Amino acid sequence: MAVAHATDVSHAPGGDHGHGHGGGAPTGSIWLRGSWVRAIWVSLLFACVAIGIATLIRAALGFGEVYSSEVAATFGLTFWAIGFTVGIGCFDYWWGYLIGRHDWVEEDHSAHGAYSWRDYFKVNTDHKVIGIQYLVLTFIFFLIGGALAEGVRAELAQPGTQIASPGLYNGLFSAHATIMIFLFIIPSFAGLGNFVVPLMLGAQDMAFPRLNALSFWLLMPAGIMFIASFMVTPFDAGWTNYAPLSVQGPLGVTFFAIGVQFAGASSIATAVNFLVTIVTMRAPGMSFWRMPLLVWAQLATSSLVVLGTPFIAGSQFMVLYDRVMHTGFFEPTKGGDVVLYQHIFWFYSHPAVYIMMLPGFGIISEVLSVHSRKPIFGYKLIAFSTVAIGVLGFTVWAHHMFVSGMSPWLRIPMMATTMLIAVPTGIKIFSWLATIWRGVIHLTAAMLFALGFMFTFVIGGLSGIFLAVLPVDINTSDTYFVVAHIHYVLFGGSVFTIYAGLYHWFPKMTGRMYDERLGRLHFWLTFVSFNVTFLPMHWLGLQGMPRRVADYEPRFGDLNMIISIGGFVLGASTLVFMYNVISSWARGPLAPANPWRALSLEWQVSSPPPIFNFDETPQVVGGPYEYGVPGARHAIVTVHTPEPEVAVPVTATLTRGAPERREAILSSMKHILVVANQTVAGEAVIAAIRRRAGTEPVHVTVVVPQGDSGDGWVIDEAAARAAAESRLAQLLAALRDAGIAAEGEVVSSDPYEAVLDQVESGRPPSEIIISTLPRTRSGWLRKDLVERVRDRTRLPVEHVVVNVPDPEASGR
Amino acid sequence: MSAHAATAGGRVQSEPASAYHESLLRSPVFLGMVMFIGSEIMLFASFFTAFFYLRFVHDTYPYGGEFEIPKGPTGINTAILVFSSFTMHWALVSIKRNRRFGLVAGLALTLVLGLTFLGLQMREYHALGFVPSDGAFPSTFFALTGLHGMHVFVGATLLFIAFVRAARGHYSAAHHIGLEVTGLYWHFVDVVWILLYTVVYLI
Repeated sequence: MAVAHATDVSHAPGGDHGHGHGGGAPTGSIWLRGSWVRAIWVSLLFACVAIGIATLIRAALGFGEVYSSEVAATFGLTFWAIGFTVGIGCFDYWWGYLIGRHDWVEEDHSAHGAYSWRDYFKVNTDHKVIGIQYLVLTFIFFLIGGALAEGVRAELAQPGTQIASPGLYNGLFSAHATIMIFLFIIPSFAGLGNFVVPLMLGAQDMAFPRLNALSFWLLMPAGIMFIASFMVTPFDAGWTNYAPLSVQGPLGVTFFAIGVQFAGASSIATAVNFLVTIVTMRAPGMSFWRMPLLVWAQLATSSLVVLGTPFIAGSQFMVLYDRVMHTGFFEPTKGGDVVLYQHIFWFYSHPAVYIMMLPGFGIISEVLSVHSRKPIFGYKLIAFSTVAIGVLGFTVWAHHMFVSGMSPWLRIPMMATTMLIAVPTGIKIFSWLATIWRGVIHLTAAMLFALGFMFTFVIGGLSGIFLAVLPVDINTSDTYFVVAHIHYVLFGGSVFTIYAGLYHWFPKMTGRMYDERLGRLHFWLTFVSFNVTFLPMHWLGLQGMPRRVADYEPRFGDLNMIISIGGFVLGASTLVFMYNVISSWARGPLAPANPWRALSLEWQVSSPPPIFNFDETPQVVGGPYEYGVPGARHAIVTVHTPEPEVAVPVTATLTRGAPERREAILSSMKHILVVANQTVAGEAVIAAIRRRAGTEPVHVTVVVPQGDSGDGWVIDEAAARAAAESRLAQLLAALRDAGIAAEGEVVSSDPYEAVLDQVESGRPPSEIIISTLPRTRSGWLRKDLVERVRDRTRLPVEHVVVNVPDPEASGR
Repeated sequence: MSAHAATAGGRVQSEPASAYHESLLRSPVFLGMVMFIGSEIMLFASFFTAFFYLRFVHDTYPYGGEFEIPKGPTGINTAILVFSSFTMHWALVSIKRNRRFGLVAGLALTLVLGLTFLGLQMREYHALGFVPSDGAFPSTFFALTGLHGMHVFVGATLLFIAFVRAARGHYSAAHHIGLEVTGLYWHFVDVVWILLYTVVYLI
């Protein structure tokens, strides 16, 4: 499963910034060095000591009740989580620095990069490793949250009690929402951003690699606490954790309130890291107006996280104070006020919906532009509208509270600002539509999810405008209309974009191609069952079915049964995705560096990228979306390819040996098919073959198809064929000189047929190299030859571009 | 990517990489601290929101009962903390002119003043005559001053680290980003207290 990057560390360019931590040299006892074993015992030790000290202080101050489970949970959990990060090794470097153990001259990179699958289970400072760690962990949380949702739908399939008592039902939907929001959607965008953003900027890593690792490892204890909050006396106040439910609720609320602090700290640290990275680590030439829109989205999102998340921290601190210290923030008998909780909570949690959406917008901008081969429409307006949504997001929080009994004068302004947000969002939607308008749309799984997103998100956005309107909102508050709306924007919005992003960058992350047919199956299953699940909820809500209630009137029964069936299919569709990811990651066809022919920087390095991303700092020279613009370039990227060594010259044996011997040798060697016409004798073709011959014995079959020459009108067919023969002879001679066994012929079929003829022949190739002219001049590329071959043969296909001078241009 | 590297006492200090590096805001560490302080401001803002909201809901102040808080003694404590910002500045100016004594003495003085502030604040808590569970005003009062006290403690920890490093000669006129960051945080803690004292104690 793991992606091993086989790059020597000594290749690392001389970046003298903090990549590695030196404390975790893999020597010494497993109990003492940073490891899971140490994480377990240190975390338990921290928890026990904290509970002990708290109890002692209570005894010393003369409390009647010396041991309190609330106090023990608060201190125990807090220090357990800190102990976990200490034990796993997040602080080893800083501790060594404090006590002066490290020679500060030499930055070692011992914790940077994954060389085996085991490295994914350790503290690692490589942003690519952390990105994958985030994505895998958050996907596990997604499965847990999804299982809880299936529990909710099983209970609601029919009127009456099915599987869960009302109390357990409250726990099911509370844990479902908290896990999906805090542990899946928000951190999975952090994971995608972690992998992609430094590459897009042309940087070697994030600005603070060790803080980045700490952010990830904080998420794990937070996640365990959230899951535990359901396991102990269940947390049942809903994800909003409103006072007074939260203040009076069971022990599970404490688990949630502390879990949120750690998840929040993790988000803030990541956000500060993104902001500093984006401001200070852009490659030369990468001005703000040349940044890919995903980077813009991460910039706006991170600002929201930095400024908003402290408010949810504050609200949960107050809940904890009220629970543990019996303060009176939300206690009316002491002069407190419960509406205060909602104001503070929503001042974060409304911007939080943009934290959950803006990175998705960024992903959609990337995917739509690349897969429809057109420049993004309205680049600057999309960037500005992202920022506008971020700013406006802070002015609308009280629209969640129209029926809460807050001051009535706040209602109209909040309604106005809420409706105003539709403007920047609309700018984006129309820009995206204009982007795909008359583009060459490639319906890959990534593109399908992006298009599906536009469909479902617009529905979610429209029901959002309904809900912004005061009279409608008062009527539909706390009904299934709201449930439908949030799932259309969070599932049909955020989750669809996450899927689009995962498919889009899967080749880059794993170095392998996913199965396109399974991807399409996954999309259609998800898209249809999603709408079957959530569309009827609009009707249920308008008919008055309340949310967060375990039972309902029999008249809602039919629609609920349809919804539950849709929900189960939706859950099952995830299995298709999982199977696709796991099987493709293990043994899918190898991915080329740039399977989508994208321009942004992450596609200009190998798949997966080298351990330090770029051999030389790239020079950015233009915008990132100039698809189909002749001569446009985003960046100049220099890749140092090690000079290939030819393994064993076998040509001599082949010519001299007996026919059986010859067959045996040929079948033991890797068979490579090279397809090229104009470019067949190009340097890049020879280099690509030599590179393979350097790692294992290969023999090569070259076909030079004449059926579709692609560069205009062939007037004299015989002359064209003679020219092709001579180019082929030139290549074969070069290969013979290099000691590589090769044979070839000029065929009259078109290139696609020629490939199929070879694949269906007695000795099928195990890899294909297609060489063409640059995109602007290649007829084969205009017909998507590379993609068609890859889809049909499911073999690794490398596309080589050779810039042969244009005979017509030079003749003029 | 030749990043921020400068010789300090024979050792090379290094920071996370940055392509360009002229102004302080271009230093990743300094910029990171600025953003972190932005986050901290919002955390204080959430508690100030609670304070103002409850004050707005009630006709009287302090709300939720009769509570007496000492303006005068805390005023002296405020002066101590404000003075510590100047000693911090002295330390920073000293290192920029390569004066070791001013650096070490400034840091030590700042640390002592900060700890004095914390001690006096503890003493005030003890002498107040009400506890957090007595009502809404004590809740916000203890939450705000306690949160601030926690930040003074964190600031003092940073100062202690800076002090040890200064004593060992890790800083130079060319390289002292760790001090800049510590100083920025300390000034932030000071400014928050001035606001807190004005709003909670005086008005």
